[in-house]
Amino acid sequence: MAFILAVDDSPSMRKMVSFTLTGAGYQVVEAVDGVDAYEKAQMQSFDLVLTDQNMPRLDGLGLTRKLREHPQFKTVPILVLTTESSDLMKQAGRAAGATGWLVKPFDPARLLEVIKKVIK
Amino acid sequence: MTAMGQTQDQVFANEREYLTFRLDREEFGIDILKVQEIRGYEPPTRIANAPNFIKGVFNLRGTIVPIVDLRLKFDCPKSDYDSSTVVIVLNLSRRIVGIVVDSVSDVLTLPADNFKVAPDIDTIIDRDAVVGLGSLRDRMLILLDIEKLMAGQSMALASDATV
Amino acid sequence: MSDAQQHGGGAEGDFDLTQFYQIFFEEAAENLDLMEQMLLSLHLETADDEELNGIFRCAHSVKGGAATFGFTDVAGLTHQMESLLDRLRRHEIQPNLAMVDVLLQSADVSRSLLARHQAGGIGEPPSTEALVQRISELALGEGQSVAPIVAPSAAFESTVQPQLQPVAAEGERTLEIMVGPLKDMAHAEAIRELFRDIPGLGTIKALACDQADMRKFSVVSSTSTDELLDLFEFHVSRSQVAIQDVTKNLTVVQPALAVRADAVEAFRATQALPGTMAQDDPPPGTPLAPSPGFGFFDGAPGAPTNPSAYVPPAVEKVATQVKPVEKSNAPLAQVEAATIRVSISKVDQLINLVGELVITQAMLAQNSRALESGQFQKLMAGLADLDRNTRDLQESVMSIRMIPMSVVFSRFPRMLRDLAFKLGKKVDFVTMGESTELDKGLVEKITDPLTHLVRNSCDHGVEMPEERIRAGKPETGTITLSAAHQGGSIVIEVRDDGRGMSREKILKKARERGLDVSDQMPDAEVWQLIFAPGFSTAEVVTDVSGRGVGMDVVKRNITALNGTVEIDSAEGYGMRVSVRLPLTLAIMDGMSVGVGKEVYMLPLSSVIESFQVKADAINTVGHGAQLVKVRDEYMPVVELERVFQIPRTDRDRPSDIMVVIEAEGSRVALLVDDLLGQQQVVVKNLESNYRKIPNVSGATILGDGKVALILDTGALVRRSRH
Repeated sequence: MAFILAVDDSPSMRKMVSFTLTGAGYQVVEAVDGVDAYEKAQMQSFDLVLTDQNMPRLDGLGLTRKLREHPQFKTVPILVLTTESSDLMKQAGRAAGATGWLVKPFDPARLLEVIKKVIK
Repeated sequence: MTAMGQTQDQVFANEREYLTFRLDREEFGIDILKVQEIRGYEPPTRIANAPNFIKGVFNLRGTIVPIVDLRLKFDCPKSDYDSSTVVIVLNLSRRIVGIVVDSVSDVLTLPADNFKVAPDIDTIIDRDAVVGLGSLRDRMLILLDIEKLMAGQSMALASDATV
Repeated sequence: MSDAQQHGGGAEGDFDLTQFYQIFFEEAAENLDLMEQMLLSLHLETADDEELNGIFRCAHSVKGGAATFGFTDVAGLTHQMESLLDRLRRHEIQPNLAMVDVLLQSADVSRSLLARHQAGGIGEPPSTEALVQRISELALGEGQSVAPIVAPSAAFESTVQPQLQPVAAEGERTLEIMVGPLKDMAHAEAIRELFRDIPGLGTIKALACDQADMRKFSVVSSTSTDELLDLFEFHVSRSQVAIQDVTKNLTVVQPALAVRADAVEAFRATQALPGTMAQDDPPPGTPLAPSPGFGFFDGAPGAPTNPSAYVPPAVEKVATQVKPVEKSNAPLAQVEAATIRVSISKVDQLINLVGELVITQAMLAQNSRALESGQFQKLMAGLADLDRNTRDLQESVMSIRMIPMSVVFSRFPRMLRDLAFKLGKKVDFVTMGESTELDKGLVEKITDPLTHLVRNSCDHGVEMPEERIRAGKPETGTITLSAAHQGGSIVIEVRDDGRGMSREKILKKARERGLDVSDQMPDAEVWQLIFAPGFSTAEVVTDVSGRGVGMDVVKRNITALNGTVEIDSAEGYGMRVSVRLPLTLAIMDGMSVGVGKEVYMLPLSSVIESFQVKADAINTVGHGAQLVKVRDEYMPVVELERVFQIPRTDRDRPSDIMVVIEAEGSRVALLVDDLLGQQQVVVKNLESNYRKIPNVSGATILGDGKVALILDTGALVRRSRH
């Protein structure tokens, strides 16, 4: 059973992602921003971190960087959800240590398709 | 002969369950779905300056419910209160209200065929609340739209009625 | 209940997103409200990053959700807002009043668009064209630096940019778009509709296409390719869209074009934000490889090496013992208190149940009084504990419904700003005590009366700037709204430093309307005259949202909440209106009194004192009115027996207890038979199943299960005035 940490400050997006993933058999833990997500990541391990980019307190890339600083999160796949798919964004994402990105808006089918590439 | 005509009558013409009760010499039937419960009568808290048929309000498990004595409203000869006095608690769209009647008979199902329209019936109750007549063996039931009856101006329950 | 038009993605609609609509509507409303608040408090000269970022994020969040759930009109408008805000937060342009105005207006229109969707999408949606136009103009800035947003790869820019410039109109280019293969041609139709729904997106024309499952369009647009693909994604996935830029190169460049190149670039940049950077667009003529909308970084942790191959989870399982949470050293804001959303009906039900518990506990307490304490010591001790626990529980539960006054106050800055502007007045708005808490039920009911009072102060209180200066006052008037707890009540004040009220004018108007007034009336009573029905003078009446609400309705609303209104005024200096409300609608400290066989309840907060009287202490004057002397005052007497036509059984024992109550600034003495006790009672509504009864404000259930009516002290006091 795979655990996914879904991070987004928008409740409607969080619910949608959560619903889609649990429907496909994944276990989902929700977090409202980077700080919340980081704390939750301390409590248990995850098979994937799915995070929005634009959030208050600590954004997606910031969370990625923080996670990568710690040995136990060095290899967890982190996907950043973003409305920007520019080169700049990609560079920043790579530099922060993200595994990949997913452009918003996306539909549930695409989300599952991408996740399947990263988790069993 | 099945009733035809107004949609409302057609609705009532379908087989339904009715709670039947007596007021003076007449027997009435109302939609069982509007009935919440049947209780004995306890003296309610009086409300000053209310019409005499509004006996007051009582406590129904935390909700304040008015009691209307239909026997007084429709000038029935007898209206005493004793251990056999019965209150039908109605759960209507706009309110919960209790009505005092002479007695409650039974709950019965009226097949559609037994329903007749009764435009000219002579009854103690407001004629426009009557939707039809039901006949069952030797009983004749006056079928009422209890929502309409209780919402009528003369019932003095509505808050837009002048005080 | 939103309109069924939208569903996410070009996917086959396996997923029903409509279940998330309600959450999105609430969330978007909050974001738009927050954005408005932040815009209003934005310091134009010294706007800092946090403020600008915060406002940007609000627009961004609404846009993201609107796009995801298919509300393209909202997505389109908020996208424009976002572009402007992005430029602002990057300090490429300076915020100014016009920008704040257009953003506020756009937020309003966004709200309307969302409300329309929430109601089922009926009716004509408000037009957004003018707004979009204005936003674009402002985004171009007033000669502010329009340097490219991001340091582009130099070679790329120099070769690409000039070729992207020659366009038929500012920033526009012509694209040829192939859509397909499609199983359902309706998706392609839907793309055409996008161009109809979203103003400023561009124009679309269908072209002939020889493949049956494909569609070809010609599009003229200044929107970036990436954004177009984003928008198309509602209906078709990116892999089904191929876009080719076929803008003709203009070899003849107008002189004006050269001058405008910077402006054009800036304009295009705003169109491109925040989606993509200009350099993402390849040179014209290159068919765009459809981007899949996601990607992986080679060699990144967990990235699939072969996208189609199975990739085992890359995460190493952490040791089973839980590591202690590392306290973050980073200077992050204090963790906000965790909150959860609960439906109001659940809270109300909880409150009802606790109310029932209070009644049951009171019944037990009452019945146990008859027991001899010696025999049932443990029982009595247990009941005492129960009493304490019930009170604590009740307090906790009531506090769930308490929300801060800031919720009420928040609507005023915007309203006053608009109103003052319309009237040509200068007004400062000050709030105090925003964190004072109030029961949610009260909040909803106090908002309208308060709005009226605040508007009144602005409309009739604060003078025009010239008049103020002539009077030696500062040009800008101040309206203060404050809230504070006082005993078991909350006191809300609306104060202004305007012209105040004229005693003479009010007395004159009162006489004209046939009200009984005297020149000796104390000021406090004169001010209360403006609440008399039909009093509304030209100086006092104001229209709240066109409903013709007057001060008398304000008074009535407040009285209906068991509250009181007091006015103080000094002509030339200003006016103060104080509204006092009980902290909660549902629970009250009551004093029960007996008349005949009946029990009535008085709000303890209205009771001043009680005493025994002899019959001869009561004097009858005039038309049967009765007065009683209390120390130095003569007070009207109200015989409850008469008010409520209470049948008397024993004429031998006359009523001989007076209870002095105070309401609406006056005192009367109620004549009753007995003082029965004091207790906390749950206030029940009479009107839900019955109707409003005169002189009665509600009902409660006594310890013995019987219903007692709660007296409306205001009504009783008013009775005695006639």
